[in-house]
Amino acid sequence: MAAVLAQVAVSGLLLGGVYALISIGLTLIFGVMRVVNFAHGEFLMIAMYATFWLFQLYGLDPYVSIFIVTALLFLAGLLTQATIVRPVLRGSPAMQIFATVGLSIVLQNAALIVWKGDYRSVDTAYSRAVLSIGPLQVGVSRLTAFVVALAITIALFYFLKKTYLGKAIRCVAQDKTAALLMGVNISRINLITFGIGTALVGVAGAVLMPIYPVFPTVGTYFVLIAFVVVVLGGMGNVTGAFLGGLIIGLVEAFSGFYVPALKEAIYFVVFILVLLIRPTGLFGVVGAEEVGLK
Amino acid sequence: MIAKEREILGERLEGKRARIDPSLYVLAALIVVAAAFTLVVKDKFYLHVLIMIMFYAAASSAWNIIGGFGGQLSLGHAAFYGIGAYTSTLLFINFGISPWIGMLAGGAISVIIAAIIGYPSFRLRGPFFTLVTIAFAVVLRILAVSAQDITKGSIGLSVPFRPSPQNFIFRDLSTYALVALGFMVIMILVSMWIERSRVGYYLAAVREDEDAAQALGVNTTRYKLIALLVSAFFTSLAGTFYAQYIAYIEPYGVFALDFSVLLAMIAIIGGMGTVWGPVAGAFIVTPLGEFLRANLGGGLQGLDLVVYGTVLILMVILLPGGVVPSIAERLKRGPKRKTAGATAAAKEAP
Repeated sequence: MAAVLAQVAVSGLLLGGVYALISIGLTLIFGVMRVVNFAHGEFLMIAMYATFWLFQLYGLDPYVSIFIVTALLFLAGLLTQATIVRPVLRGSPAMQIFATVGLSIVLQNAALIVWKGDYRSVDTAYSRAVLSIGPLQVGVSRLTAFVVALAITIALFYFLKKTYLGKAIRCVAQDKTAALLMGVNISRINLITFGIGTALVGVAGAVLMPIYPVFPTVGTYFVLIAFVVVVLGGMGNVTGAFLGGLIIGLVEAFSGFYVPALKEAIYFVVFILVLLIRPTGLFGVVGAEEVGLK
Repeated sequence: MIAKEREILGERLEGKRARIDPSLYVLAALIVVAAAFTLVVKDKFYLHVLIMIMFYAAASSAWNIIGGFGGQLSLGHAAFYGIGAYTSTLLFINFGISPWIGMLAGGAISVIIAAIIGYPSFRLRGPFFTLVTIAFAVVLRILAVSAQDITKGSIGLSVPFRPSPQNFIFRDLSTYALVALGFMVIMILVSMWIERSRVGYYLAAVREDEDAAQALGVNTTRYKLIALLVSAFFTSLAGTFYAQYIAYIEPYGVFALDFSVLLAMIAIIGGMGTVWGPVAGAFIVTPLGEFLRANLGGGLQGLDLVVYGTVLILMVILLPGGVVPSIAERLKRGPKRKTAGATAAAKEAP
């Protein structure tokens, strides 16, 4: 029994790594712009399709495609910020929500028209490879996704703490007026942050492709989980999103083990409880509350 | 301060009431045209489009009560819609209870669920409130899928075809059209009443600046809750209507996030927080979708939604108030024109 539970825990953590990877970009964008990007899942979908087609047409390994897909999604993010998000930044929450909801609808259905509803997957040598560590079985591609998520979190953490650009991003996230007074070009920071946020989901799409099939509505499934993770970790909190991802992964694995039919319901109930009881999230930082409640 | 405001607003209201409200003329004209269309047109497709327009006008008006007037952006209204559809259908299939009664039962359940959801959620603002409403609808969908003994899970439920007025099942589309027309008219009247009532003004205050409203002594939670309960009740009725009209429901259809988004989208395109916004939105958006779907067929499945989404983005960026307020604005600017009516009043609200 202990071995089984350990196996469930490991699967949960690995799954959580994937969730974390998808959520980090979302939380970063929210932290800086206070905009929930409802089209985040569709960016993931596009990244997965890009990875799929690079594999299908040019035989590129998904792990090689990471670099191309990430660059592509960075550009997509810049374009989205410049054309759709920037005009509504000063608008009401309704406008902000529905600008990205509109984008999500367009992308999802455009994908449906272009690529149809079929499930497509990439079959690589390592897709089904499994490492045995003692009694535990670990899927190679899931382990890779986890390691990438961890590496990205650490890299982003240092980028935000140590570099000038990172500090400027944090500055805008904390206090726009102060940032402006310190000579930070806010609209440039917004642009770059949105680019980074979608680039991160590009990474997620590429490492996810050997694990999950892609279809036009795949983003809806993952974005709902990403919302759960981001709120759990505290909106705008990158490290929180990583830990939140792991927690939701564990919750899903264990509830899948004990009550398979209701596993999704359970983490959404967790989500609702977190929102209602502690909207700043489990790792909410001082001041985040104001962000959340305004 | 608020008392004085109220007095001024009250006077303004009295002034409006003394004349016959222009909105009522619009409503009368709408009823006449829609009823005439229903009785004259025999083409099934056009009747179907008309039914869908009026259905979405009603459902989106229901959303508008909390989403528009109250400014609380719910994207979880599919929860109430699904409850309405499932309650009346289950009562009808299992106990032979008339869907007319089942509709009210569904409405009552939706009101209770809305109170349970709303009371704690109203602490949350902006995107946080929206997220929690999405999550509630998702949880209900999962429950509907997994409670297979009752709901048959994702196989869905069919409403047996036993046409009779008390079964809420009709042979001809024109009867459905008349029911949909009645529903839409009720929703317009409810919206007009809310907009002009004290509740409506409090809701406008909450929407514009919740902190200020609270500071002035408005019990914001109470009025938001009233709006949500009314909104949930009528959205639930829409669910029953849909179940009776289409005669088939399944969890992924009636509890769909897409449906919640569509209701909000119609209201936003027409003009959130106005009486005529959702109606205008439904007349603009619904035919577009129905015609695209009918003419392009399976080959371009999804094109209607691409168009919807694009219109939504453009509207939000270029005309954030929606169609109705901008027309009203234009009418108001004209010399001595006071026909802007409802929407102008909304603009002047605190």
